[in-house]
Amino acid sequence: MDRDDLVDTLAGMALFADLGRVRLQEVAHTFIEDSFSAGQRVLRQGFSGTGFYVILDGQVAVRIDGTDRATLGKGDFFGEMSLLLGEAPVADVVALAPLRVLQLGGPDLESFLKRHPEVMFRMLQSLARRLRTANTRQS
Amino acid sequence: MPASTQEKVAQLARVQLFGGVSRPALERIAELVGEIDFSAGDYIVRQGQLGNGLYIILSGTARVVRSGEDLARLGPGDSFGELAVIDRSPRMANVIADGPVTCFGLASWDLLPLLEKEPIIAVNMLRELSSRVRSLAGMHHRH
Repeated sequence: MDRDDLVDTLAGMALFADLGRVRLQEVAHTFIEDSFSAGQRVLRQGFSGTGFYVILDGQVAVRIDGTDRATLGKGDFFGEMSLLLGEAPVADVVALAPLRVLQLGGPDLESFLKRHPEVMFRMLQSLARRLRTANTRQS
Repeated sequence: MPASTQEKVAQLARVQLFGGVSRPALERIAELVGEIDFSAGDYIVRQGQLGNGLYIILSGTARVVRSGEDLARLGPGDSFGELAVIDRSPRMANVIADGPVTCFGLASWDLLPLLEKEPIIAVNMLRELSSRVRSLAGMHHRH
């Protein structure tokens, strides 16, 4: 993807909504673009050595013990909880269609978030929402 | 007698949420927190209410109760109430003092700028929330 197009795409995502153009360019520069074909696993349940992923295009299923728990699409992200906790992913993340992602290697996530507190705050809000949803489901 | 700044810093340094925070930053945080005392049975936070701060337990224990069900027990060094600050939504559960409880309270209008100035606090918070999401989903590997 052309660097300018990528910055435009990022600008439309909630996670990066508070960043100006220059900071978005830095994000585009920090992450690596990667793609997967339908059916390919991006994260493997129980396996370490993963990264942080932001979906540019396509959809993934979050699959635990063979059961689909959620579907994620453009602008959604995954992999951050395993990295932050230093644990293996608790789900498979499987491309449902041709998938394009931005990827950040495990060791780089924390320093990236510290450099961009606005992104970290968006991530916190997203986790807070997930926690509320999980709580509601449980009760 | 209210705690001195140095005493507050020593207490804050033991809180997981502030792990890795520099001493000068802890001193600034000490100026922001206020000590609050609760008695047995007091509601420290109430389910459904809008929250305007987070709490850090200094002494005593409290239980987390949602819709009549006991969910967890909290003690010294534990912090709670950050969710309502992060997403400005009502409190998800009651936190009720078991006996006398002393807390630090940190107002949301002080916490939010702090997360930008001391991003390590936000990282600690992300870890804590991640851990809670995983344990709720019954898929935590650590405990």
